[in-house]
Amino acid sequence: MTLLEAAAALRRREVSSVELTAAALQRIERLNPSTNAMQTVMAEAARQRAKQADEELARGEGRGPLHGIPIAVKDLFCTKGVRTTGGSKLFEDHVPDHDATVVEWLRAGGAVLIGKTGMHELAYGITSSNPHFGAIRNPWDRDRIPGGSSGGSGAAVAAGMVPMAMGSDTGGSIRIPAAFCGVVGLKPTYGRVSRYGAMALGFSLDHMGPLTRSVRDAGAVLNVIAGHDPRDETSSRRPVENYVPDIEPSIRGLRIGLPENFYFERLDPDVDAAVRAAFHEAESRGAEIVPLPVPDIAAINTVARVILMAEASALLEPHLEQRDQFGADVLALLDQGRLLPATDYINAQRLRRAMQREFARLWLRVDCLFTPTSPVTAPRIGETTTTIGGQDEDVRLASTRLVRAINLLGLPAVSIPCGVDRRGLPIGLQIVGPPFAEAPILRVAQALVPAEVPVPHL
Amino acid sequence: MNSTCNKDWKKIARANGLAIPDAALERIAASLDALEADFRPLARALPPETEPALAFRATLAAEPEDAE
Repeated sequence: MTLLEAAAALRRREVSSVELTAAALQRIERLNPSTNAMQTVMAEAARQRAKQADEELARGEGRGPLHGIPIAVKDLFCTKGVRTTGGSKLFEDHVPDHDATVVEWLRAGGAVLIGKTGMHELAYGITSSNPHFGAIRNPWDRDRIPGGSSGGSGAAVAAGMVPMAMGSDTGGSIRIPAAFCGVVGLKPTYGRVSRYGAMALGFSLDHMGPLTRSVRDAGAVLNVIAGHDPRDETSSRRPVENYVPDIEPSIRGLRIGLPENFYFERLDPDVDAAVRAAFHEAESRGAEIVPLPVPDIAAINTVARVILMAEASALLEPHLEQRDQFGADVLALLDQGRLLPATDYINAQRLRRAMQREFARLWLRVDCLFTPTSPVTAPRIGETTTTIGGQDEDVRLASTRLVRAINLLGLPAVSIPCGVDRRGLPIGLQIVGPPFAEAPILRVAQALVPAEVPVPHL
Repeated sequence: MNSTCNKDWKKIARANGLAIPDAALERIAASLDALEADFRPLARALPPETEPALAFRATLAAEPEDAE
């Protein structure tokens, strides 16, 4: 059941929040031992909150579509009185005294917070094979990674534990697990959703967004979490809008960019075919496909990596003497960041401005871009390289190759399921729009997402 | 002049007082060299008038004109 289907059933009194919450807890109990998607389960607090939600709904005090719906948040969102680890041994006993803005606003919207999802250590990686809290497993094939860093959120939604789990995305960390787990993952524009109270990785690259089973659900969540927050200095004052698209929106006349360079180089053939099929589907619905060159994405990725390494290492510098508290992959990245000179960081931020201007010209020609989310489907747990077109590529670099640049540019992007590969593993389509074009990209996503998104047999 | 040259990461680490073991530096050297090779030409081509994408306000509170 999707979030909005559950909300409709709640309004019709066909089900109660207590029943939805009990069902979610049962599913977690059954499936978490084999997926490790949930890091912390807040069973008793969730039951109490669900009871309260039912009472409020019975009194006609509905707070919107999230009211009474069990949800989860990635374990880097601060939760008052509930352990928040960031997937790190450093913070294994960290119990915040406040909620992150996103958590606060979700609670205010009536959502029932049922638990915290597991993640890649410190959100700094894409496997979610956490050395401290165990590997998170993909519900489609438990020998494979769910992607990351919001791997627990992707796995929890794909496994039907919750209809929505919040993630964060610094270099693809919402969209990669969405693609690998066959769910919808929305990274809003930088500044659209508050970062306050979410443990940072790269201050200028971190974005917060939902992973859901439907596009409309992602819009419904954005309706609750978007808006100005004075506690986040980068929070936008731009007014919010309704982000839930119609059930069958028209995309007639929409100009969809088909990148002529970079995005279709070195892809798994099944990924290539599925994404190209999405273009044909869009064209058959009246959209105009516009082939066009895109700016140098490899250069944008390089600049994004320099900024991320510098920001992450600066942030974690006070802890870096405790080397045994870090996993090997994360420590290697943090060490690299410490060796970059300050001039590189400043020049990367100068290049970012120039790249932002160059990319902005693209939006004069098209309304959105379609690209694959990842060049490959979910790799096996423990694999460090993947072979694409006969060429070996580092799993982390391959998985982030098509998504990282969008963080540097701060643009909104959504990954939606667009088929499965020869092994039955989900493939993701990334739809990117101009700044603050969340509503238009969700509209096109809704038009193209299959009516029946395949789900894993569990 | 070559657009890039490999740096001695061990010397840089020591000069900066970073307690990174030599074995760890050896493991990350290739990755840093590759990043250098990609990044240095981009940085060198920057026009001087390009400002960084960093914001600083002289006042602590957001001002009305910040409203979008």
